[in-house]
Amino acid sequence: MFTSMARKSLAALAVTATALAASMSPAQAEYPEKPVTMVIPLGAGGSHDLNARIITSVIPSYLGQAMIVRLTPGAGGQKGTQEVARAPADGYTLLFTHNYIDMLQQYVENVPYEPLKDFVPIARVNYAPASVIVRSDSPYQTFQDFVDDAKANPGKVQLSHSGNWGAFFVPAALMMKKLDLSLNLVPHQGGGPAMQALLAGDSDISLAFPSAIGELLKAGKIRVLATAGTTRIYDDVPTLEEVGVDGDIGFMHRFVLAPAGTPPEALEKLSAAFADLSKDATFTKLMARLGESVDPMTGPEYQALRESQATAYHELVNDLTSQ
Amino acid sequence: MIDQLTEGFFMAMRLDTMAMMSIGLFAGMLVGSLPGFTTLMAMAILLPISFFLDPIVGIPFLLGIYKGGIFGGSVPAILISMPGTGAAVATSRDGYKLTQQGKSRKALDMALFASVFGDTASDVFTILMIFPIAFLVMQFGPPELFAVLLMSLVIIAATSGANPMKSLIMMMLGLWLSFIGTDPLGGVERFTFGLFDLKSGIPLLPMLIGVFALPEVASVVIRNEKGRKLAALMGERLSRVEFRRCLPTICRSTVIGTAIGIVPGLGQIVAAMMGYSAAKNASKHPETFGEGEIEGVAAAEAANNAVNGPTMVPLLTLGIPGDNVTAILLGAFVAQGLRPGPQLFEEQGATVFAILVAMVIANLLFLAIGYLSIPFFSRLVTIKTSVLIPLVIMFAFAGTYVYRSDPVDLLILVGFGIFGIVAKAARFDVMPMVMGFILGPSMEYAFGQTVAMSGGNALSFFLTERVGALAVLLVTPVLGFLLWKRLYSSPKTA
Repeated sequence: MFTSMARKSLAALAVTATALAASMSPAQAEYPEKPVTMVIPLGAGGSHDLNARIITSVIPSYLGQAMIVRLTPGAGGQKGTQEVARAPADGYTLLFTHNYIDMLQQYVENVPYEPLKDFVPIARVNYAPASVIVRSDSPYQTFQDFVDDAKANPGKVQLSHSGNWGAFFVPAALMMKKLDLSLNLVPHQGGGPAMQALLAGDSDISLAFPSAIGELLKAGKIRVLATAGTTRIYDDVPTLEEVGVDGDIGFMHRFVLAPAGTPPEALEKLSAAFADLSKDATFTKLMARLGESVDPMTGPEYQALRESQATAYHELVNDLTSQ
Repeated sequence: MIDQLTEGFFMAMRLDTMAMMSIGLFAGMLVGSLPGFTTLMAMAILLPISFFLDPIVGIPFLLGIYKGGIFGGSVPAILISMPGTGAAVATSRDGYKLTQQGKSRKALDMALFASVFGDTASDVFTILMIFPIAFLVMQFGPPELFAVLLMSLVIIAATSGANPMKSLIMMMLGLWLSFIGTDPLGGVERFTFGLFDLKSGIPLLPMLIGVFALPEVASVVIRNEKGRKLAALMGERLSRVEFRRCLPTICRSTVIGTAIGIVPGLGQIVAAMMGYSAAKNASKHPETFGEGEIEGVAAAEAANNAVNGPTMVPLLTLGIPGDNVTAILLGAFVAQGLRPGPQLFEEQGATVFAILVAMVIANLLFLAIGYLSIPFFSRLVTIKTSVLIPLVIMFAFAGTYVYRSDPVDLLILVGFGIFGIVAKAARFDVMPMVMGFILGPSMEYAFGQTVAMSGGNALSFFLTERVGALAVLLVTPVLGFLLWKRLYSSPKTA
């Protein structure tokens, strides 16, 4: 036992030492010469924080430099985003964010930056599809049961979500729009409390990501009625598209941005490091344990997705706020 | 369950577990005692280390940081009136007065003993009652949270000073300050005057340091006693008689803290304040509270530590983290292949009990580590004020800056420092303001959720579905009045 622990800690030390040694090697004027800071515009202990802890404990072996996490929560993610938008575009300050902060917020609030102009994507790390869930003792056996009940009792069915304009609010709002439903959307301070409200019977229906669903589903506490996207996650559960809610909206993408104008060699080096990272065995193992997938996407690929999100979110916000 | 508990007990009896836990405790204490560094940050940064350790070593290591950090926060609160977290505010009230009276060692000892007692008792209670607690947690939703928060604010206002109008004014001010920034439910900007820096609201740390530490610095400077010391001595250690005198208070606070830990969303700050208010109310000499009453330190510290046991329950039984600390622990659990949830106890019962047993052992280790390090901390106050005061000012500014690296926070610090000095001169207690500020956002959120849940028909919602919350709301004004009357308007003849 003790030796295995010692070995593992030695391995961890070795990684750190490599990073340190690399940082002390003589200046070759080649990026990266010093540790890179990754700003997260969200609080400690959230899923981005946990993902980042795994990223930063593995990536130094590919980047040749340490990567430091800086949490800058505030103003719904705008504080950290603004910090990186204003940071020098030298490749030493990056942003680890998600699509709702990145592309949706600009249409809801006055943000002090222009997301499409001020940032370039480096890589997408992974994404999580939202699932529509109910308690296992719920009368809704299928998604259609839920739709029927919501139609019969407009405004009575209570849906708990993780916060306005967040990862579960948006798909819920889209369901209301596409299926012409009226639901009582109740915000909670994060996905955990929203799930607790469902389990406690305060709400009738909710949404959650796979990492939060796994154990509760296995224990028979909840039932999944539909999942985001176009391909089925569970064989017997329809996708949101199949039930009439189409659009790339039930996903939370986690990705890394750099300020626009970052030198090409820095972007290349970073892209390569993230590409290698997603193939690393330790990284994939740790991410799998967290219940997170590894679905890398290159910067240009993700940029295309960002642009399509911008159009879709703009329409959605206009639709929802015009009434 | 007994089999699993015994198996877990033997699994936890490992030398490397003890060693890493001690390192965690010490690191946590150090980080907690430096204003501006939070236990949460330390846990997040050290989390990856736990990935590479055995589960029964890695998770106790993180728990050690957490427990050490909570006590660490009381050190600057007691020694230099600089609470780094909301949970240490109640401790600093009597703790700093004791330091000024030359009894800092007693105050720190009491904080340590009360913390360890409260924590251990609540951990043992949690281990034995984990399934009933899991059931109870589910009974609390936003309406109950709102009712309990409102009651807490009323109790704080009623018990904090002889003039309830002054307390209420300060509390309203605090609530208003908490409104500044983006409205948490609707995302509307309030009182920001279009300034981006105010959009995320006023940060707590600069306010705490500003209103509690800077006025004390100013009063030492104004007295201008060159070469004097803040306290001539650090005093003697806590005696057994004193501990025994405070034991009923510690037990009461432990019960209050454990109960508050069961309600999701309340946490250490409410527990410390309620433990303190209850002790003051039960005391035969409530006027000594706030003037260096060691029972006040005991009451606050036992209560804020007793919260820890029950907050682990939703995490372990449902896999739902209630706050950021438990979210980091969730990360540590799953990275080890332990998936918290309903089946955790069936599949990995022994390992979970081993971790819970390790929590209890951590407390005992901490008693030893803390007791040995207190004399070193205490020595700080015996430095000449001409050296100590610049040090305190440096801690105040550096601590504020490292927290978010935002220069605006320094302006906020100075602003609240000036406010604190004026309030002190005008004999307004800043405590109700700080509490209103801290609890305001949670209360507002719970209120908004309650309104949404009721679907616009509050009366029938409360009468048919939320009778418990309604009862708490109805009792609150009466309770507040009775407390205030008992503490302040009765003639003190006895």
